[in-house]
Amino acid sequence: MSTGRTRGAVALAQAAIVLSLFLLWEAASRLGWADARLLPPPSLVLPRAAALLSDLVFLGHLWITVQEVLLAAVIAVPLGVGIGLTLAESPYLGLAFKPFFHFVAAVPKSVFLPVFILLFGIGFGQKVAFGVFQALFVLVIATAAAVAAVPEELLRLARANGATRRQIWAEIHWNAMLPLILEGLRLGMIFNIAGVIFAEMYVSRAGLGQRFTSWGESFQMPELFAGVLIAAGLSIIVNETLRALERRAGAWRVA
Amino acid sequence: MSLHLADRATPSPAMAAVKPEIIVEGITHSYQTGRGPVLALKDIDLSIAPGRFVGLVGPSGCGKSSLLMMMAGLTRPSEGRVIVRDAPVTSPAPDRIGVVFQESSLLPWRTALENVAFPLKLRGVPRAEREAKAEQLLHLVGLKGFENRHPHELSGGMKQRVAIARGFCQDPPVLLMDEPFAALDEQTRMTLGDELLRIWDQHRKTVVFVTHGLTEAVYLCDEVVVLSGRPGEVLARIEIDLPRPRTWEMMATEHFGRLRERIWSLIRTQS
Repeated sequence: MSTGRTRGAVALAQAAIVLSLFLLWEAASRLGWADARLLPPPSLVLPRAAALLSDLVFLGHLWITVQEVLLAAVIAVPLGVGIGLTLAESPYLGLAFKPFFHFVAAVPKSVFLPVFILLFGIGFGQKVAFGVFQALFVLVIATAAAVAAVPEELLRLARANGATRRQIWAEIHWNAMLPLILEGLRLGMIFNIAGVIFAEMYVSRAGLGQRFTSWGESFQMPELFAGVLIAAGLSIIVNETLRALERRAGAWRVA
Repeated sequence: MSLHLADRATPSPAMAAVKPEIIVEGITHSYQTGRGPVLALKDIDLSIAPGRFVGLVGPSGCGKSSLLMMMAGLTRPSEGRVIVRDAPVTSPAPDRIGVVFQESSLLPWRTALENVAFPLKLRGVPRAEREAKAEQLLHLVGLKGFENRHPHELSGGMKQRVAIARGFCQDPPVLLMDEPFAALDEQTRMTLGDELLRIWDQHRKTVVFVTHGLTEAVYLCDEVVVLSGRPGEVLARIEIDLPRPRTWEMMATEHFGRLRERIWSLIRTQS
């Protein structure tokens, strides 16, 4: 049980950690511990980040990445959950196909990027396809695991009380599976974002990743660091939002 | 078959006139394993009169829980059938038969109140109505004030109280209990046993109570059915002729000890 007071103290300590990291970064750059051309100080990077966020050209690139990530999620989530449910519900399909999902999940997806370019070109569609590909496997595996984690005794209890198939899904499966599926969704989103940005960095005409590569190649380090901060911030927001949902859906899992 | 059953099952002339509430007819059950079929239950015949508290004991693996699951309509026997209130049981019939399981089997994402009301929710009873009923039952099992707690905030004994309240929720005439106190410590088990008898006294249901606790069986039941080791067959039906209400002092009596000893000697020769 954390009281309001300890929560406040923790928040204060965390703010101090962030602040000292930035101070350390500033010092490293200014005191010559690191080459200031390679590691520009936050006093330079932060204003640049603010400038980027009001730069319509940059916002255009950002918007393309956001659209790619969202579309990939809209495709990958129902597809991954659907495949996971099918594998879990059919013993035969599960035994036959599940190992392959684990195998492919283990392979670094980036090695397939050249194939994706041949299949989908280098435009918007290829980024979405690669995002889907990245997110799909963890979603399938998490969903199948969620079905397997539904407690047998609760299913029996529902049946003993005359629950219909639909009621068993709505009352037992849904509640038992939701936190695990949200966890898979969160991991899937991390993979999805990484995949889309990586595909943009590899070959692209637009998007956040394309900007990173271009800034890096033209040695525009303040812009590069500012862009990285923005991408990191957005990813953290997505992750924390899903984590909060996960906690709420799984509050019963404590203890 | 029913004739020789009757002379074993009928303790008093009055009982014979009453129509049985539960009839188990020629149940034989076998299941498949990697090493071939295993005969779990053999030729089980039972008849249980309304309002009786009947214990089902036997060595581990004798199939007593399986038999209970067949009475609940959750498992189909290979042969034979169960009849409850004149109708064969082929699938769960929650309006006639309530079940309380060994693990409390509470929905961890629902409050105590919602757990008790769950069977009514499945039947589409409106929220206000089902929760009023559930509240009443929670009070009955001594959990007033715990309505909005989740299972992880309750002790083992409290969870089992919630499960018992849920068993009474649909007010079924028959209540099947599968080692409901097995996971509890001795003290809690004794207290809950007394509570169960108190509630049963108010609501007079036909109870079939599977247990491996012989003291518990003698203390709670009107009659104890002793099953043999695998394949489970009915070895004896022992009438527990202790007066009701039962009190803890009875446990110290010679008669209590003799009843317990008779059951134990039957089981001991098995395993």
